[in-house]
Amino acid sequence: MERFFQYLFDGLSLGSIYALLALGLVVVFRGTGHLNFAQGEMAMICTFVVWQFNDWGVPLVLSIILGMIVGFALGAGVEATIIRGVAKKSQAGVFVVSIALFLGLNSLAAMIWGSLPPEQLPGLFPDEPDDFQRIFGAVWRYEYIGVLAVALVLMGLLFLLFAKTKFGLAMRAVASNPESARLAGIPTGIVLASSWGIAGAMGALSGTLWGGIVGELNAGLMFTVFIYASAAATLGGFDSPGGAVIAGLTIGVGEQFLAGYFPGWIGQEMKLSAALLTIFVVLLVKPSGLFGSTKVERV
Amino acid sequence: MLRIDEGSTRHWLLRLLGFAVITFIVVWVPTQMSSSRIGQFTDAFILMIAAMSLNLVLGFTGQISIGHSAFFGIGGYTAAILIKDHGWSPGYTFYAAAVVAFVVGCVVALPALRIRGIYLALVTLAVAVLFPTLVRWKKLAWLTDGSMGMDSVRYEDVPVWPILGELKGREGRAVFMFWLGLIVVVATYLVCRGIVKSRFGRALVAIRDNETAAAVMGVNLTTTKVLVFGVSAALCALGGVLSTLKSGVITPDGQYVTLLGSIVFLLVMIVGGAGTLWGPIIGGLVYVWLDNTTRDIGTSDSGILGTLFGWADQSPATLILGVVLVIIMFAAPYGLVGLAKRLSRKVVVIIPKPTPYGLFGAIRRALEKLFRSRSQPAGTSTPS
Amino acid sequence: MSLLEVRALSAGYGPVEVLHGIDLDVDHGEMVVILGANGAGKTTTMRAVSGTIGRSGSVTFDGVDITRTNAEKLVGMGIAHVPQGRGTFPDLTVMDNLRVGAYARSGGIAADIDRWFAVFPRLAERRDQRAGSLSGGEQQMLAIARALMSHPKLLLCDEPSLGLAPLITQEVFEVLKKLNAEEGLSVLLVEQNANLALKVAQRVYLLETGTVVASGSAAQIASDDAIRKAYLGA
Repeated sequence: MERFFQYLFDGLSLGSIYALLALGLVVVFRGTGHLNFAQGEMAMICTFVVWQFNDWGVPLVLSIILGMIVGFALGAGVEATIIRGVAKKSQAGVFVVSIALFLGLNSLAAMIWGSLPPEQLPGLFPDEPDDFQRIFGAVWRYEYIGVLAVALVLMGLLFLLFAKTKFGLAMRAVASNPESARLAGIPTGIVLASSWGIAGAMGALSGTLWGGIVGELNAGLMFTVFIYASAAATLGGFDSPGGAVIAGLTIGVGEQFLAGYFPGWIGQEMKLSAALLTIFVVLLVKPSGLFGSTKVERV
Repeated sequence: MLRIDEGSTRHWLLRLLGFAVITFIVVWVPTQMSSSRIGQFTDAFILMIAAMSLNLVLGFTGQISIGHSAFFGIGGYTAAILIKDHGWSPGYTFYAAAVVAFVVGCVVALPALRIRGIYLALVTLAVAVLFPTLVRWKKLAWLTDGSMGMDSVRYEDVPVWPILGELKGREGRAVFMFWLGLIVVVATYLVCRGIVKSRFGRALVAIRDNETAAAVMGVNLTTTKVLVFGVSAALCALGGVLSTLKSGVITPDGQYVTLLGSIVFLLVMIVGGAGTLWGPIIGGLVYVWLDNTTRDIGTSDSGILGTLFGWADQSPATLILGVVLVIIMFAAPYGLVGLAKRLSRKVVVIIPKPTPYGLFGAIRRALEKLFRSRSQPAGTSTPS
Repeated sequence: MSLLEVRALSAGYGPVEVLHGIDLDVDHGEMVVILGANGAGKTTTMRAVSGTIGRSGSVTFDGVDITRTNAEKLVGMGIAHVPQGRGTFPDLTVMDNLRVGAYARSGGIAADIDRWFAVFPRLAERRDQRAGSLSGGEQQMLAIARALMSHPKLLLCDEPSLGLAPLITQEVFEVLKKLNAEEGLSVLLVEQNANLALKVAQRVYLLETGTVVASGSAAQIASDDAIRKAYLGA
């Protein structure tokens, strides 16, 4: 029974990191209709920025906030310049450009910081071997609890932004009908850039939390998380932020169960594959994901 | 500006000229260049094949796929297993790999029938990520040798072919691989061209431009999509076989077997020009050239790039690739072939003729005249 | 000086010029309708006035030259455009649609919302429903209410009758007429349904292939036999 709760707790915490990144993907998709293939790499580079600030003596929490601001600026800047420019010429080009970003950011990070020995990003929360809480007999480390808490708070803030604020209304309007939004006086350019900006900030936080757990910092930090996040966004439905969160948590928990209960067949190496295969199957049944809306095409 | 009628003598002369230039290059490379240069051309051939296969699915049918690295890997592994564990002669593995990949491609295509756009892209992403992990899976190690990969996958002795004569040693192998690669490239090109110019090809483009309209007009979406995916996978596998034979090894992290491979195929196709027949060919050449040119940057301190990137310990090759890509998307969104077409139109314009041309066309027209005079009143023209 | 002055307006899509230098005026408190067949350039005119597409010529609103102004700024200046096909936000609720309409305004909007719910009771019934699930007529009313939430001086309305049943169309036109008569709302209307439009409008412009071929008061146009035969189907 303790194993069950162990997997549940670990899964929720890790899953919340996937959910954060997945939210970034969904926000960008809903707001601008594009898939940001570089979401993970943007998160990774912001994590390095956070480390750098911290290394220069800036206290950790402030470094993280600065990192998120940098993430916002990076996302908004990229959208306003490169993405918007290419989108005018060709829609397929946007996907290619996001791949180019993926490659470029990865290379840039490796160039600037890559030669450092694997650096430890100080954890946000106490992470000594005895920093945990026993619940239902399972070990829930403080840093895992912390990760889950921070992630949930941020997701909550994001939902509040969308549902209750005027700007959130503007974002939803632009996502729903950009031309009418313009006619209603909504500054569409700012809204589009903000979608990418928010995704950048969420990515920065996701990367920092992940880096804190993993401990090692290198250019390949966020690649698997990106795969998990894409899987979560796909599973949840790319136009459903709630779906992305639920899917992210589900995948996190699910993979712990799969790896834990089937160590011979699945184990740690195959848990990603198992997760992907499940999603494959789900998509066959529900082509727009669990919570996505099926677009009825009117001819 | 030159205006040339399609099918006229001048047109044939122009084509002959192009053909002559290509033949010259094709003969010059393996006979005059160093074996490493020849190897680079073979690398380009491999990319061309993979990009051409992706082009069928993405450029012509409009179905996003970043999973072709898996088909590439399937090809390579099929060849490796057959040669190493079952003693097959390498030549036949091409056919076997194509068949295996065709089947897998059809299976992967099944979700494509219902999933659109972004979801399809991510399913293919999953396939690309799954393949290397599956290969590494402990339960499959009996087949794939797991993470270690398989080596000694090559022709024991370089086969003796007419004209080429006996090829010995490393140089000989390089030359042989060049010609083998060229044959596969030409074969792939002919297959693609045949498909594109056929009724099936028009169905593909119809699906790309408007699926619903295509379905309403009688295109069987299911069969068409599944078939094109299968064919595309099969062609891509040929590239995998070629790559494995050239390097002699295949590993789950190997060149183009991982997701990065799918990305490279996509880039080659886009840079060259999606939806065109020559795009992937040009793209392959450009990519290999770019790759080789940027490879040494960062290790030497000279020149502009040395000054710009002297502080980095890692080569900025990928960064430069990324920047170049963005520039190309702005400057030439239809790829280099698209750009070339636009520019060449300022110099030479080929005016298409409404009736079929060439020897074949002449025979057809003669036949039509023969039958028309018997069954139809004169003055009516049959649509070409 | 008219509220809206358009001089030598030309516009098009890419290399195709659709409008070839038209002039039109809408005075304070007037309801003006642009009539014409399909392809005449009516929607293009609306888009050119509201700045949604590029244009040359001059557009002056309330004395201010808005030829170079971005479409997004116009709502703040008092022009609200209800596009062809209604342009509702299908994923947002009716309430949210109305809130978006008031985006450019500051201050409380509760009074306005109550007001438009009173004018369009059917919308009140569906206030929390997704706008995309409303019927065509309800969406049209929603689009108009949304536009009016911004307290415009000039309402641009593009083919409100498109795809609507005759009874609903009449309802919509009655609301427009009332607003024009009682509140002095200036309206520039584009319509294909000539009969209905002539009943509510004061002045008419007749557009054909991008030029104004006739203009005058509604009564004049309606009674002119030649024009009736040529453009309005007798």
